Amino acid sequence: MKNITLVSLMILFTNIGIAQITGSKHDFSGNAWNTSGQICIVCHTPHNADLTVATAPLWNHDITSVAAYTLYSSATLDATVGQPGNESKLCLSCHDGTVALENFGGTTSGTNFITGSALVGTDISDDHPISFVYDAALAAADGGLHDPATTSSGLGSTISDDMLFASRMECASCHDVHDNVNGMFLRINNAGSALCLTCHDK
Amino acid sequence: MRTEFILTFCFFIADILSFSQSIVNSPHNLSASGTGEIKSLEEKEICIFCHTPHTSNPERPLWNRSVPGTNYMLYKSSTIKAIPGQPDGASVLCLSCHDGIIAPGNVLNRKYEIDFGSGAETFKYGKYNLTTDLSDDHMISFFYGSALAYADGELKHPENLLPPVTLEEGKMQCTSCHDPHKNTNKNFLVKTNKYSALCLSCHDKKYWLRSAHENSEARWNGAGISPWIGTAYETVSENACENCHKPHSAGGHEHLMKYEAEERNCLNCHNGNVASKNIEAQINKPYSHNVYSYFKVHNAAEDALVFDMHAECEDCHNPHASYNAEANAPFVKGYNEGVKGIDQNGNRLETVQYEYEICYRCHADSPVKPVSSINRQIEQNNVRLEFAPVNPSFHPVVAPGVNPDVPDLAAPYSVSSIIYCTDCHASNGEDSPAGPHGSIYPGILKYNYTTGDNVTESYYAYELCYKCHDRSVLINGNSNSFQTKIHKKHIVKEHTPCSVCHDSHGISITQGNSVNNSNLINFDRNVVSPVNGIIRFEDTGLFSGSCYLSCHGKIHNPKFYN
Repeated sequence: MKNITLVSLMILFTNIGIAQITGSKHDFSGNAWNTSGQICIVCHTPHNADLTVATAPLWNHDITSVAAYTLYSSATLDATVGQPGNESKLCLSCHDGTVALENFGGTTSGTNFITGSALVGTDISDDHPISFVYDAALAAADGGLHDPATTSSGLGSTISDDMLFASRMECASCHDVHDNVNGMFLRINNAGSALCLTCHDK
Repeated sequence: MRTEFILTFCFFIADILSFSQSIVNSPHNLSASGTGEIKSLEEKEICIFCHTPHTSNPERPLWNRSVPGTNYMLYKSSTIKAIPGQPDGASVLCLSCHDGIIAPGNVLNRKYEIDFGSGAETFKYGKYNLTTDLSDDHMISFFYGSALAYADGELKHPENLLPPVTLEEGKMQCTSCHDPHKNTNKNFLVKTNKYSALCLSCHDKKYWLRSAHENSEARWNGAGISPWIGTAYETVSENACENCHKPHSAGGHEHLMKYEAEERNCLNCHNGNVASKNIEAQINKPYSHNVYSYFKVHNAAEDALVFDMHAECEDCHNPHASYNAEANAPFVKGYNEGVKGIDQNGNRLETVQYEYEICYRCHADSPVKPVSSINRQIEQNNVRLEFAPVNPSFHPVVAPGVNPDVPDLAAPYSVSSIIYCTDCHASNGEDSPAGPHGSIYPGILKYNYTTGDNVTESYYAYELCYKCHDRSVLINGNSNSFQTKIHKKHIVKEHTPCSVCHDSHGISITQGNSVNNSNLINFDRNVVSPVNGIIRFEDTGLFSGSCYLSCHGKIHNPKFYN
């Protein structure tokens, strides 16, 4: 057990030095469809950002117009799952496959769409639910979830503070779009399923 | 900031590794960090063996495995009221590992199967691998509604199941008993099964609460085969249901009995190693209700009237009901509480009131009943007819006898006494357990009872009779010379056994009458012959009668006694 902790720490030390978007799968500077050759521009712009997109920092990418995703459901699910929140729609603007990758900076006629395992699609019923309120009441009802208001996230504060958006779980609860040190842009290394077990009390 | 982060992370890792009730330190942690017997060589993630956050199987919750087929062999039993179906709901998820078909490392969100090395070879039948033959496992995936509870009669109403046992959309599934994420109670049980608390969350067996199997604190003495392989419990009471039943990979399949041979479920304890009385030793005697002779003939749902000859422990004992309590004849004792029987009128009973009603299952109207060893003037093998209180004479098993004056009766017996079948038919030996398990004497008799002819009288020769009929009175008489004239003359001087003149059970009113068959008179035809075609006793009043017969070359035509 001590070994595992040490190994985890070593990985952590090694990775902290290279925590950046450059060179990650979200660095599209070398892609043919990105004629700008820049990295940030695919999502952000320093000027003339799209202010109609809520909760989006200086947004520059065309936003998905899908209104009704097929949502996750399960007999044992206690959460009330809604259509993706604004934070998650930013991700889905590439990952639902309805908006071309190069549709940024005013372009709307792109032809390169996301493919492969990165394509989440508009049927998100096979994906972990998002856009639901995760609070002490849900934790109590489920019986297998930590109370987010009192449980450490491992990221400095509580789950509520570090991982939720107005109490809602969104894509960014688990993923850090800018940092791929843990693989899959995970915010916590999932060795020992540590990310899952941050919230799930199993 | 960075230091703080690292410290927090350290605490976090320490936290999840030390969770006492977490999946992390349970056998379901199949990652390389797992502590169980089966684990992958290098995989770091734990949840991945069942769940994936994206691109899951349509099965919930976020299932990461293929769903197995539906060609399971289902549980069958003659007594179940539930309608078995192919596994569904959460149970198919469990079976996607536990039927042994899909390798544990074969998950959907990985291109390559997660390597378990040779560890997967330990995934053996009887331990983790249920196989696709579920006929030896507790039924799953059946609707457990109020109709089922009512039809079964020994199940709790589905709304009254004891927590945390739950149904999934009305059905019992693996998850009713198991929580795959928490191993607090071993075997991932949702609650401990000590005292069968888990089983009894649904099962409500009649009589159970006062049964010996519920209450006995007896322990195994360590000799022979452990009766409790598979449990960590140490007394009969703690093992409760699991004394005899096994919820998975049960040797007997039907009724989830541990062993296929019915008697093994009983005799691993009732051999002196747990229960103090050694029944096994009785069964091994030359004359017994030989439970070893029959295999899968007994059926828990069988008719009270036995049509296929057999003897199993459960024919006379209800292991859910049996408890240590004596009773007064003819009432059934605690040992035989709650078993089927046939009453004196020949009617079937779900539960006997009198002990003899158990015997009548096989020894009365059954077409396969055993026959008497003595060739009698009046032949009758139906003991129900032999003991009927309307008969001209009978031993007082059903009601007190008809003879108002039996001078040789030893205390505490009197003419108003009632006795049990098992007062005569029982294991021999003073310290032997009660009941007709086995004896060194024919007829499974408690004491020696010599039949035939030309027997030198002794206490031993007719010990069975002399236990109630005082030998000195019977032979030498007291105030009545009749005893001396008849009994001493025949038994002592002529070496004639009791059985030559007396038929110990009784003479049915359908065949005999009170003139010719009082006093249990029904001659042994191997010894007694007719004279001029007549073989007869005539009762002419108290202590007086005449015989018309030939015996030992002596012609009685008639011979009058008084």
